[in-house]
Amino acid sequence: MFILTTAVLPGVILILLLTVGRKYAHLTLPVYALITLGIGHGVGLFVAPPDREMGDVQRIMYAHVPAVWSALVALVINFGCSVAYLFNPSWKTDSLAEASAEVGLLFGAVGVLLGSIWGKPTWGVYWTWDPRLTTAAIMLVAYMGYLALRRFVEDPEKRATWSSVVGIIAAVDLPIIWFSVKWWRSLHQVQSSPKTTDVAFQLPLRLSSYAFLALAALFIIHRYRIAMSERKAEVALPEALPTDAQANRTAGVM
Amino acid sequence: MSSLMLLAQVAAGEVGSGRIQGGWGYVWASYGITWGALTLYALSLWLRRPKNSPVGPKE
Amino acid sequence: MSRPRPIGMLRAAGVLLGKDLLIEWRTRARLNALVFFALSTLLLFSFALGPDTKLLERNAGGYLWLAILFASTLSLGESFRVEYENACMDGLRLAPADARAIFLSKAVGNTLLLVLLGGLLIPVMVALYGVKVVLGVGDLLTTLVLGCMALAAPGCVYAAIANNARARDVLLPLLLFPLIVPALLAATKAMALVLQGDPMDQLGSWFGLLGGFNLIYWGLGFVLFPRVIED
Repeated sequence: MFILTTAVLPGVILILLLTVGRKYAHLTLPVYALITLGIGHGVGLFVAPPDREMGDVQRIMYAHVPAVWSALVALVINFGCSVAYLFNPSWKTDSLAEASAEVGLLFGAVGVLLGSIWGKPTWGVYWTWDPRLTTAAIMLVAYMGYLALRRFVEDPEKRATWSSVVGIIAAVDLPIIWFSVKWWRSLHQVQSSPKTTDVAFQLPLRLSSYAFLALAALFIIHRYRIAMSERKAEVALPEALPTDAQANRTAGVM
Repeated sequence: MSSLMLLAQVAAGEVGSGRIQGGWGYVWASYGITWGALTLYALSLWLRRPKNSPVGPKE
Repeated sequence: MSRPRPIGMLRAAGVLLGKDLLIEWRTRARLNALVFFALSTLLLFSFALGPDTKLLERNAGGYLWLAILFASTLSLGESFRVEYENACMDGLRLAPADARAIFLSKAVGNTLLLVLLGGLLIPVMVALYGVKVVLGVGDLLTTLVLGCMALAAPGCVYAAIANNARARDVLLPLLLFPLIVPALLAATKAMALVLQGDPMDQLGSWFGLLGGFNLIYWGLGFVLFPRVIED
């Protein structure tokens, strides 16, 4: 019963809001997010018991873990779009790739920053070069590079193709981040599961996770619209764009 | 011998519960950063929103 | 009129590689620049860290790979710049050869250049930092080759992209460095073992890790490179 209400029901609602109710998503998602975040963080901050060893500092988990999970989901979406674009080029796919990368980077940065803050009282250091943190830092810089590439290329088609290539290569890091705690001895703990986590922590964690997912989806939708309108403007006025370097010029004119 | 027992009892009283005490500063900093970052990003999305005109946005 | 039969991919790659090596041999411009740049980097490290030779000796593997990494950004950028002058790249693409041959030739060529560079730097390091090659030439060469391969493959993909974008000199390191960090870490660890001895027999597992990275990067590069240079 508990699992039903905390794990399954909010997830089903979110899926319905994103698929069946997609037309009203820009209204329903914020409401869903505020409710689940309100309950999740409210319970996490004031109701859930302190951890046996970490005390109250453990409450950071209800923000750090959902942030990182949402980041990984967003970046997996980016990987999917990058692959899809190479098989079937479309501005929609490219815009979704741009949106998911930016949102993924945002949540990832927040997640890593929160992890660093959490590390100070628990591990004694803000940072250490263990596998989980190192691969997470790589992820942040890699996707900053992805967004920088998008900004530095003006031809929309080349930008989309090259971003797809870079997105695919950058995504190699994602499974390494996920499994790093299992493959190597890391300061960061191994993945928790409902079996290893106290029931009192599960409700706020699950609700906060769904809240962050909903927020990520909402941000991606809005960022996607911004990207699509930029694409429309670029494609409609090709003469206004300076073309990229040598590749488009005829031989010898360079 | 009894002084050792005394020391032992005092020491037992000074060993903590093995749990981090306090730390609410870290918690509030984390949550503040989270909410702040999400709000700022939402604001940036709002500011960058596409203008609905047939001419098309200039950016 | 029948279409000319496309040359086999490996043969095309060999021809292109021969062309690159010939150009390189005739001018030796790139190799000279690389050697001087890498040498200065090694010198700078020893200045920056002071006269404590124990520290330099312990971390020599890391400094070597950093010097090779920095030099690789020059090497990779240059290896594609020559193609874009006089639109040579267009000529290559129009030839009846597989575009992936271009990737193979560039990646192998850059690997060879970096391995050569590493080989030239080792005696310098022996002199400057006081290291010894404890494990022998075979392991040293394996480490060099595996590490340079892991640098060259993604480097070629990114160099081809960066060369056509704005801020190309910034973009190549920005894109390349985060991706090759895991491979570079493995190469550094392996080199440290080669230079200082391997009592616990760990070298094999680092080679395995490097091999894995190479498989992924070369595979991805092979598949994705044609999309990067197509028009």
